Amino acid sequence: MKLVIKDLTKTYKNGVKAIDNLNLEIGTGMFGLLGPNGAGKSSLMRTIATLQSPDSGSIMFGDINVLEDKMALRRILGYLPQSFGVYPKMSAEALLDYFATLKGVASKSDRAALVNEVLEITNLSDVRKKNVAGYSGGMKQRFGIAQLLLNSPKLIIVDEPTAGLDPAERHRFLNVLREVGTNCTVIFSTHIVEDVKELCNEMAILNGGRILKHSTPSKAREELSGKIWTKIIERDNLEENEAKYNVLSSNYNEDNTLNIRVFSDQLPDADFKSAEPQLDDVYFIALRQDEPVLS
Amino acid sequence: MFSTIFFHELKYWLKKPAFYIYMAIFFSLALFISAANAGIFDSLTVTTGSSRTVNSPFGIANLFISLTIFIFFLFPSIIGVSVYRDYKSDMHTILYSYPFTKSSYLFAKFFSAVLIVTCVVLTIGIGMFIGYRLPGTNPDLITTFDFKSYFNAYWVFILPNILLFGAIVFGVVTFTRNIAAGFITVILLLFVQGVAESFLSDPEHRYIAALADPFGGAAMQYYTRYWTVAEQNELHIPIKEVIIYNRLIWLGVSSVVFALVYRFFKFSQNAITFSLFKKSQGVRSTKRNFGGITRVNLPKVNFDYSFLQNLKNTWKISNVEFKYIVKSWPFISIVLVGLIIVLIALADLGNPFGTPSYPRTWRMLQGGGAFVIAINICTFLYAGMLVNRSKIAKMNGIEDVTPIPNWSLFLSKFIAIVKMQMLLLTVIMISGILFQLYKGYYDIEIGLYIKELFGLKLINYVIWAFLALWIQTLIRNPYLGLFVLLVIAIGIPFLSLAGIEQPILKYNEGPGFGFNDMNGYGDSLGRYLLYKSYWVLGGLVLMVIAGLFWVRGLPHSFKERIKIAKSRFKAPVAITFLVLLIGFLSLGFRIFHETNIKNESYSSKEREQQRVEWEKLYKKYQDVAQPRIVSVKANLDIFPKTRDFNGSGEYLMVNKTDQVIDSIFLNHNSYPSTFEFDRANQLVLEDTLYNFDIYELKRPLIPGDTMKLHFTVKNEPNTILRRNSPVIENGTFLNNFQLFPSLGYDGSNELRDDKTRKKYDLPPNALRPHPSDSSALGNTYISKDSDWVDFEATVSTSEDQIAIAPGYLQKEWVEDGRRYFHYKMDSKILHFYAFNSARYEVKRDKWNDVDLEIYYHKGHEYNLDRMMRGMKASLTYNTENFSPYQHKQLRIIEFPAGGFAQSFPNTIPFSGDAGFIAEVDDSEEGGVDYTYAITVHEVAHQWWAHQVIGADVLGATMMSESLSEYVSLKVLEKEIGKEQMRKFLKKALDDYLTSRTFESKREKPLMYNDGQGYIRYQKGSLVLYALSDYIGEDVLNNALKTYVEKVKFQEPPYTTSIDMVNHVRAVTPDSLQYVIKDMFETITLYDNRVLSASTTEMDNGKYKVDIEFNVSKYRNNEKGKRYYSEVGRDSITYLPEGKDKPLLSVQLKDYIDIGIFTEDDIDGKKKERVLYLKKHKITEINNRLSIIVDEKPTEVGVDPYNKLIDTRSDDNRQKIN
Repeated sequence: MKLVIKDLTKTYKNGVKAIDNLNLEIGTGMFGLLGPNGAGKSSLMRTIATLQSPDSGSIMFGDINVLEDKMALRRILGYLPQSFGVYPKMSAEALLDYFATLKGVASKSDRAALVNEVLEITNLSDVRKKNVAGYSGGMKQRFGIAQLLLNSPKLIIVDEPTAGLDPAERHRFLNVLREVGTNCTVIFSTHIVEDVKELCNEMAILNGGRILKHSTPSKAREELSGKIWTKIIERDNLEENEAKYNVLSSNYNEDNTLNIRVFSDQLPDADFKSAEPQLDDVYFIALRQDEPVLS
Repeated sequence: MFSTIFFHELKYWLKKPAFYIYMAIFFSLALFISAANAGIFDSLTVTTGSSRTVNSPFGIANLFISLTIFIFFLFPSIIGVSVYRDYKSDMHTILYSYPFTKSSYLFAKFFSAVLIVTCVVLTIGIGMFIGYRLPGTNPDLITTFDFKSYFNAYWVFILPNILLFGAIVFGVVTFTRNIAAGFITVILLLFVQGVAESFLSDPEHRYIAALADPFGGAAMQYYTRYWTVAEQNELHIPIKEVIIYNRLIWLGVSSVVFALVYRFFKFSQNAITFSLFKKSQGVRSTKRNFGGITRVNLPKVNFDYSFLQNLKNTWKISNVEFKYIVKSWPFISIVLVGLIIVLIALADLGNPFGTPSYPRTWRMLQGGGAFVIAINICTFLYAGMLVNRSKIAKMNGIEDVTPIPNWSLFLSKFIAIVKMQMLLLTVIMISGILFQLYKGYYDIEIGLYIKELFGLKLINYVIWAFLALWIQTLIRNPYLGLFVLLVIAIGIPFLSLAGIEQPILKYNEGPGFGFNDMNGYGDSLGRYLLYKSYWVLGGLVLMVIAGLFWVRGLPHSFKERIKIAKSRFKAPVAITFLVLLIGFLSLGFRIFHETNIKNESYSSKEREQQRVEWEKLYKKYQDVAQPRIVSVKANLDIFPKTRDFNGSGEYLMVNKTDQVIDSIFLNHNSYPSTFEFDRANQLVLEDTLYNFDIYELKRPLIPGDTMKLHFTVKNEPNTILRRNSPVIENGTFLNNFQLFPSLGYDGSNELRDDKTRKKYDLPPNALRPHPSDSSALGNTYISKDSDWVDFEATVSTSEDQIAIAPGYLQKEWVEDGRRYFHYKMDSKILHFYAFNSARYEVKRDKWNDVDLEIYYHKGHEYNLDRMMRGMKASLTYNTENFSPYQHKQLRIIEFPAGGFAQSFPNTIPFSGDAGFIAEVDDSEEGGVDYTYAITVHEVAHQWWAHQVIGADVLGATMMSESLSEYVSLKVLEKEIGKEQMRKFLKKALDDYLTSRTFESKREKPLMYNDGQGYIRYQKGSLVLYALSDYIGEDVLNNALKTYVEKVKFQEPPYTTSIDMVNHVRAVTPDSLQYVIKDMFETITLYDNRVLSASTTEMDNGKYKVDIEFNVSKYRNNEKGKRYYSEVGRDSITYLPEGKDKPLLSVQLKDYIDIGIFTEDDIDGKKKERVLYLKKHKITEINNRLSIIVDEKPTEVGVDPYNKLIDTRSDDNRQKIN
């Protein structure tokens, strides 16, 4: 099923246009929504997840008009907010049973089986009797996945789930997400380019409430093939190079020299070497083009 | 750093709207109440007529301090939260790494919050100041502005209280990081204070209570308790001894509390936890960092989104919510404290004179009333907690995207609240049953518990739950919501002050219900349930609105919420809403129509105006000659099932005057009636509003001539909403004034307050005439249209009941399924008789040739013997000392409730709750046997009212109530001994001194009293008892006997208090004549105290006791102002060493008891024994005496038995060590 977003706009009370006339089509599979902090990712995801209403525009998932028939979407929606809490003094098992009830699982045995399975999937079976409020960050995110699975969702929305996880937890989380997302639409927001590279078959870059680029990770990289150049420079020469070239990123090397990457159709200068395009480059080029122009 | 944090905090508050909202609320509250007290709503409601100045220092202190108590509820969110806020916003992680000291952090936080609270307090002061002076207030009630009054109330009472409770709440919230905990603490402190107050209410504990009250109120009362009106109007609260000690104690406690907070506070990242168990051994913990790929293969389950399933889910969710409430410790602590309070209330309930009643189930349910506040607070608080629960837990993001419908979520919260209410009601039931079992009382009416708690009371709480959910949903801040709800719940009753009297306009108001053993709930249930149905509909309307505004997801403004609510207002919801609204409004209209349009209903303002108009229209006929009723034949049919009556009667009237009477002024009630005279007449005036008719006689009634009036009277049928008849199903008690017409103008309902009268252009109220006014002695104080009458009555009732009227039963028969009784009196009686009907059991006995009968409710056998003994003892005492009993029969008749008994000729209706179910403890430590005392008192009225009746002038009740009470004390004294009388006298003294402080008009001396209960009962009994001690019981009774002989059954002019006092004066020796003046003719008080007492053993084994004591005597005027001198006689003075103000006294030639006591050990109990008790003649204020006694004394006293009226009775005695 396809998620189609048309002309979506949302302006907050303080005047910030969080979503600016946004159009997007998302198909089955993992969709990565990449963007810097404050780009409007959470606003967009909350809007799709029926938590807030846009000022204008429409959202269709399959034949469900999300803004008109919120309940229909909620039945097939799995949502994991950027940050969430749980009722204190309740175990994972009790909370999941509660959520399963909310999600319409009527029979007690069904609920028990389901809760059991999602706990297995997320590797939380050992701590099923422990209060979720006492979980570590990684466990809590996995609990978030567990609750999201309870209604066998067709549309899964996860908002920056990997922020703050250690590498092992992050991998584990992405693996689980990958597993569950095989046959449905998964929208996955992050500001970590790596996540998208590892996981997504489709991606979009969002900034200032607009889609800057909509592509697949490999295609986006291919487009840049032969246009990314790199060079090692002294720290003092950075400003000079920045003025001359379209510098995408600069990283220190161990000897305090800088490694800069430059975007250019041709070889900018003889001392540049051609470099393999990376997703980072795609991201920075998109953002660079969206940078406010100083007049 | 202190100032940085301090000013940062202040700035934070100054930017917060809540700060201004709080100020606005308290300002308006203070403005409203002070303006209402000062009579601003007089144009809407009754005139606030009083001799009390509302902004006297005393008045200001009371209002200011009590309004500040509301602020305590804000402490958790102002003072408590100041540190917790840093945690909540996670600021502490950064903040606590900054280089400032603990002291500057804590002090700055605390004092900035205290300053904010002070600003709110200031608005109360300003609100009061302005409120008193708003245009439209009554300037007579206001005195000039006095800064000191406000200032003293603030710095002596309010500020220390803020510091104390602020420190406690500050500590609690800082350590628990839970605002609710702070809130509960405040409630618990208020509860505990109330409990301590009731524990220490006994006069003997007043000193301790004054020190122990953290609010300082008891300390203030220690000095002001017995302040007369004049003193309340003029004096400043004395800031001395007890008040200072109290304040210092509690300031000390607050410092300690703050020091503890300081000691235990750490700049740590974690909340301090208190655990009952020792921490278990720590275990090193690691998590698994590898693996974790699994196939996702979810089991196939059925999803059910049907309505039915949603309903089931609703129930299931409500269980989750209910569990949360029950497990949360604010709830647990409220329940525990509530339980303690209920048990105390049960133990303390209705214990007049320290004597409890049997723990009948309905009384247990009344005692449960103390739990009302707990249930309401839980409802208000948890409505907010549940509505905002997922938001507070930050779980709303997950919960709100599930396909559960809004109504299901919302309804589950409501159901959880109702479950909680039922749990709390169960607590009442269990504590009631436990109490009954503890008392060894096994007549436990489970059915009644369940019906009342889970039926009648639950509806009431559910209606509050509707409102609470509505407010909490709209406000979305549980503590602000709770505050608003408390203001609403407490404020609603005050709306009457502003003239809003219709209960249909005040949320969840309406008539209540009452239960008694005889009549059950009577007809109160129908009315109660109708009003509750009305409010259930109103509450459901609110619930639908709340549902529309239910927050799902993240709306960003109230405007957006309104938009969402509008979009939700679609077919099914809109129709439900309209149906409920129409139901609510039409039921409201029905109630309004029936109570206001179909039947007359008057606001208290209108009733006040009617009283004025009545007087203006008809007072002119007051002195027009009217015939006197000399014979009454009454018929009354009582229909208990339908609660109707149908009566008729015949008055035989004689023109006893020497004038020709040409018109009859008939004063009747609004029941449908007919009147027929046996002589031609014309109705020249028929006033259907005041029910006053004038019939002009075609042939005037010449002196000595007679005529008859035949009348019928019945009631309109009763409806659910309106009780049109005083008949009840079982236990009807009616008197002739309620049913039958009377002749002439009735002035008993005239306005009495002179300032109010002036407003309506009425002349000042002259009270009753003075007894020396010989022209005013034509009527008794009971009846204006008759002297002594012949009486005969036929009463009928349903077959299973007995109907009673004064007189002797002539005939009893059954006809058409109804039972008839014909009673006839053999001697003349006052025109004052009652009718009773109920399913009675009868107990019979005999005293000499008098038949004694008690008509009682089956099951109320407990005290019948006691009552019989009381009847006999009273008959004996009165007969022996005064005159023979005029009847051959004496009956006590039980009626359901009211807490009183009333004496009619040979017939004494006695309410079931005033003695029938008393559980008297006959041991010496037991309370007073008031069943016995009341019986003796009422029987004594057969003499003191039914033989000797005073003219309708000042002081008349001295010859009825004071003398009956005197007889009661004397009979009791013979029964239990002189020493035991002290508890009765102390209670009477305390009651007298307390009641007179509420006098809003004027207090007159006993023999000129205007009928106030505290003068005629309490002061009267004290005075006559003391008098019998001074001149001797025999001497006094002989004088009274002569008096009775002279005046009993007399025709007008009737006797007065002057006549009675003269009889007493005649037998009083010259040296004691001053007692007559002190006790009867003036309001005289003593200030007696023992200063020091010591004893030395003499060579002969005897003991010499040296006593130094003060005696001072003063008089009060009618407003309670003290006078130490009299016309032509200066006061005497005494200047104690080291003082600059002399003590004053009226000149003394007084005889005062000096007593010396020792203690005996009898069976391990200390028992007091008199070594010396003698009256000494006292002429000076300061006195020293040396007295020799045989044994080692333990205590001395001046007026040790409190025979004299003294506002400080506890310093009359002193222990010798």
